[in-house]
Amino acid sequence: MSNGTEIIKNKDKDRLIAVKGLYKTFGKLEVLKGVSTEIKKGEKVVILGPSGSGKSTLLRCMNLLETPTYGEIWFEGKLLTPVDPYLHFDIIRLSKTYKKLYEELKARNPVITDEDADKTVIKDIKEHDLLRRSEGAEYKKEIKTLYKKYFQNVNLTRQKIGMVFQHFNLFNNLTVMGNMTLAPVQLKLKTKAEAEEKALTLLKRIGLEDKENVYPSTLSGGQKQRIAIIRSLMMEPDVMLFDEPTSALDPEMVGEVLGLMKELADDGMTMVVVTHEIGFAKEVASRVLFVDDGKIKEENEPKEFFGNPKDPRLKDFLSKVLV
Amino acid sequence: MGLKMGNFFSSIWTDFYDCFIKYDYYMMYLKGLRNTIIISLLACIIGLLIGIVITCVRIAPKNNVLIRIADTIGRLYVTIIRGTPVVLQLFIGYFVVFVSLKSTSVFAIKDTAGVWVAALVFGINSGAYMSEILRGGIMSVDKGQMEAGRSLGLSWTHTFFRIVLPQALKIAIPTMFNEFITLVKETSVAGYVGIIDLMKIQKYITTQSAKLYMPLIIIAVIYLIVVLFLQFLQKRIEKKLSAGDNK
Repeated sequence: MSNGTEIIKNKDKDRLIAVKGLYKTFGKLEVLKGVSTEIKKGEKVVILGPSGSGKSTLLRCMNLLETPTYGEIWFEGKLLTPVDPYLHFDIIRLSKTYKKLYEELKARNPVITDEDADKTVIKDIKEHDLLRRSEGAEYKKEIKTLYKKYFQNVNLTRQKIGMVFQHFNLFNNLTVMGNMTLAPVQLKLKTKAEAEEKALTLLKRIGLEDKENVYPSTLSGGQKQRIAIIRSLMMEPDVMLFDEPTSALDPEMVGEVLGLMKELADDGMTMVVVTHEIGFAKEVASRVLFVDDGKIKEENEPKEFFGNPKDPRLKDFLSKVLV
Repeated sequence: MGLKMGNFFSSIWTDFYDCFIKYDYYMMYLKGLRNTIIISLLACIIGLLIGIVITCVRIAPKNNVLIRIADTIGRLYVTIIRGTPVVLQLFIGYFVVFVSLKSTSVFAIKDTAGVWVAALVFGINSGAYMSEILRGGIMSVDKGQMEAGRSLGLSWTHTFFRIVLPQALKIAIPTMFNEFITLVKETSVAGYVGIIDLMKIQKYITTQSAKLYMPLIIIAVIYLIVVLFLQFLQKRIEKKLSAGDNK
C-alpha cells in the first residue's frame, strides 16, 4: 500500500473494465443496486437476466452512455465516472501527503497492518480537512493533477470501446462506406484512403463488398447489424459491448450475426454481450453473469452456470428459458 | 350572348390596362415586389440563423451555467415572440425603436431604412417559429443515432452536425417551407408602418385608377407566383435530400 501508483498499475494489468459499486436510478426507479465486476482482457462475458433486470443499463454504463448515479467505472486504469476527487480514496492514496502520513504512522506503530494503516491515514486526512487549511493549497493542487491524470476524456475512451446496439443505429444519412469511415477519418486516426481500404477489407470479410455505396434503408436487418459490428471494428477497439444484438432480427437472420460474433471471439476480442441467446452463452462465453433486480446474483463459467446453478432466481430463470 | 361575353372580356382588358400598363404602373408593382422580396428573403435568412442558434442552445447538454442561461433566454424569446401579434412587433420595432433611434442618432438615417427594420422584425419573429420547427425535427430523429456517434468516440457537437442535424432538416423541410410561405404573405402588413410593399402599391393604384378589384387580383397573382416558386424550390430540395430513402 505504500506506493499507490503501483497499486493501480498492478491491478489493471489484465483488467480492461472495472465496475465498482454501481448504482443507477431513473427518477424513482432503482435499476442497478450496487454492481461490481471486472472484465479481463480476452474474456467473453455474457450477461443474462430477465427483462427489466438492469443488464442493458449495466452495459450502457460501461461506456457512459448512461451516467451512473453512484459508483465507479474504470477503463484501462483510468477512472471514467466523475467523482469528487477529494473524496476519492484511490486518488488520495496517490498523493504525497498520504505517503508521508502513511510512512510516519508505520514508523510510529510497526505492528499495525497495512489495511488498518490505510484506513487510519485516510480518516486522518479527511478529519483534518486539509482543504480548509493554508497548507492544504498544495495538497489540493496535487489531488487535482492526479484527478486529471486518472480522469480520462470520455470521447477518447469510447474510441477503444466498441458498441453494438439492438436497433443497429447505422447513420441513416450516410452510405455504408460513410458509416464506416466517418469516425476514424473525423477523429484523424486514419486518412480517408486508409479508412476506405480497411472498410473494404472488412466488407469483403462479411461478404457485403457490393453494398459499399448503398444507404442503410436498403439493407436487411442481419446485414445492418453485421455492418454495425464492422463499423465498430474500424476503430480497432480493445473491447466490444453488444446490447441484445439479435433481439430485433428476424429468426433467419440471427445466425449470420451470431456467426460473425463467434468469429470475433475466436480472434481473441474481449466481449461483453447482453443477450437472450443461451446457445451462444454456452458455446462462446468464458464467464456468464446473471443479473436480476439490479444486482449480479451469480457469475460462473458456463458449464457450472448452466449445469449447477445455485441462486434460486437463476434456477427459476433457467427452467423457463431452457425448456 | 357572344357580344356580351366580348364586352365582358374587353372591359377586363381595359381595367387591366388601366391598372397595370397605363402610366407604367407595372414599374410600381415591381418596386413593391422588390421590397416584399427583400423583406421576406432577409427575414428568412435571419429567422433561419436565429432558429438554428436557439435550437442548438435548447438541445445541447446542459452541463454549464452559460448554456443554462442561454437556454432560459431562448425559451423566453420563443414565448414572447409567439405570444404577441407580428403587427404589434412591427409597430414596436418601427415606431418605438427605429423612430426614436432616428431622432436621437447623430447619423442621418434615411426613411427607406424602414425596409431593413421590417426585415429584421420579421426575421426575429420567424426565428421563434423556426427554432420550434427545427427542435421538432431534431426530436423526431431516433436517439440511437446520437448514441451510435458517441459510442464511436465522436463528440456531441460532431455527431449533432454530421448525423442528427442533416436528418432533422430533411424531416423539417416541409414545415420550414410552410413557415417561409407564411412569412412572405405576412410581410403584407408592412404597409402599416408606411413601407412600400406590394400591398401598399395595390392601395395606391386602387386610389389612382378608381378600379377596386383589378389591383387586388394583380397582386394576388404576384403573391401566388412567389409562393409557387417557393414550392418548386421545396420539391427540388426534397428530391435532393431523398438519397437514403427506401427506393
